[in-house]
Amino acid sequence: MKPISLNTEQAPPISVPLRFFTAAPLFLMLAALILVSGAYNPFANMHSPALLAATHCITLGFMAMIMMGAMQQILPVVIGSPMPASRLVTWLSFLPLISGALLLPAGFMLGKPVLLNLAWPLLGVAFITFISASLFSLARSAAHNATRTAILLSILALGGAITVGMLLAHGYATGAPLSYAKLATAHISLSLGGWVLLLIIGVSYQVVPMFQLTPNYPKWLAPSLAPAIFIVLVINLLSLLLDPGSHWVAIFAQSLFWFFAGCFAVATLWLQSKRRRRVADATLSFFRLGMMALLCAALLSLATLSFPVIDHLGTLSSMLFLLGFAMSVIHGMLYKIVPFLVWFHLFRGGVKRGVPNMKEIIPETWMWRHLWLHRGTLLAALFAPWWNPAAWLVALGLLLQGMLLGYALLTAIAVYRRTLERVDGNST
Amino acid sequence: MRANMAHKLDVRGLPPPEPFEHIMRALPALPAGEYLHVHIDREPYPLYEVLRDIGYVWQTTAMTDGSFSIRIGRSA
Repeated sequence: MKPISLNTEQAPPISVPLRFFTAAPLFLMLAALILVSGAYNPFANMHSPALLAATHCITLGFMAMIMMGAMQQILPVVIGSPMPASRLVTWLSFLPLISGALLLPAGFMLGKPVLLNLAWPLLGVAFITFISASLFSLARSAAHNATRTAILLSILALGGAITVGMLLAHGYATGAPLSYAKLATAHISLSLGGWVLLLIIGVSYQVVPMFQLTPNYPKWLAPSLAPAIFIVLVINLLSLLLDPGSHWVAIFAQSLFWFFAGCFAVATLWLQSKRRRRVADATLSFFRLGMMALLCAALLSLATLSFPVIDHLGTLSSMLFLLGFAMSVIHGMLYKIVPFLVWFHLFRGGVKRGVPNMKEIIPETWMWRHLWLHRGTLLAALFAPWWNPAAWLVALGLLLQGMLLGYALLTAIAVYRRTLERVDGNST
Repeated sequence: MRANMAHKLDVRGLPPPEPFEHIMRALPALPAGEYLHVHIDREPYPLYEVLRDIGYVWQTTAMTDGSFSIRIGRSA
């Protein structure tokens, strides 16, 4: 046994994360509109402006928006160290992020360099503010656990991803002579393989056992997994960017990356099979879908590395990672975090009686409907590169998901406000 | 969840926010000068904020099995 330090700081007000969360569904709807804006199937060409724009709507406007909002709340809960000056950090990250996430896809779609040149500095401000505040919070945390390490590494990867992303956007706008293919690979690798995967791993170490009532992640796996993934990402990047790079080193590093990602998926699925309360739970099913998609993405990527002649496996793996893994897990976490936040802030705000049960804040039937909609969207996305009607189904699925999620979040906010008003009414 | 006359509360294995609810229900019944000993799976950082706001002090000890023991009492 050892005594640990005391925490004396406060978590941010509920408006901080909710501001990010409620903006995010709008970008799903925007991505849907972009996908159907042209006369052709944007999935048929993985480098088409529409697909590039829609992808950044999802990665910046939806995923980063939610992850940055959630981090404001997750850091004080899991490592006991809130971000400093939470309101200032929120405005300095939220407004530039929302502006940049609108301008960048617009720049890609319209081919306007001026929009790209407006977007990348705004996104730079948003992410530099967020990264600085996160590093400050991590540095002063007394917690020394696998979650803190994974979050720290994900933030470092985000720093690299944003640097390369800004360079690419500036290059596209000015026509600067850059190694675009290599930089794009580095950007994708750091943002999805680093920032997204490592953050989900770190948060899962806490959220999966806590909310899904599973055993803890094995001690032989948890502390070493995120550092191992980070190291192979760095090795892969060095072999990619150094000229002449070693092809076999890159293949080896990528194989290890997907092996480790697959290990995380298998470990999480195994833990979920050992959970103590075996009741159906939509958020758990979102998580399970995410882990199965990650496992499939890992197997397809390993197959692509082994048999590079099979051309489309890499495309399928990307779809599975982004829509299947990252989006599923983010939805699952959001549907668990938001009711908890509403409940906690009502309780903490002095509401002693009549605090709604967590399950009443967002009706679970909506979560199940959303899960089925998401499954359908993912299935359509896997056919979209080869079957044009599937591209329309993906767009329709994203549009409906944005509407459903937005409605669910507004419902939770309405419950929060109604409860506070009722208490105020009773006390006067 | 188990509680006994020695003011011990075991909230391991309960999903959020049940550990929080059990602790908040047990505190008003705590006699002055005595402590509530809570055994919990994860360090409950949000609980600390509430304890501070309502005039309690606490001391947390990390156990070797990864769980935490928290001693909660009224502030002087």
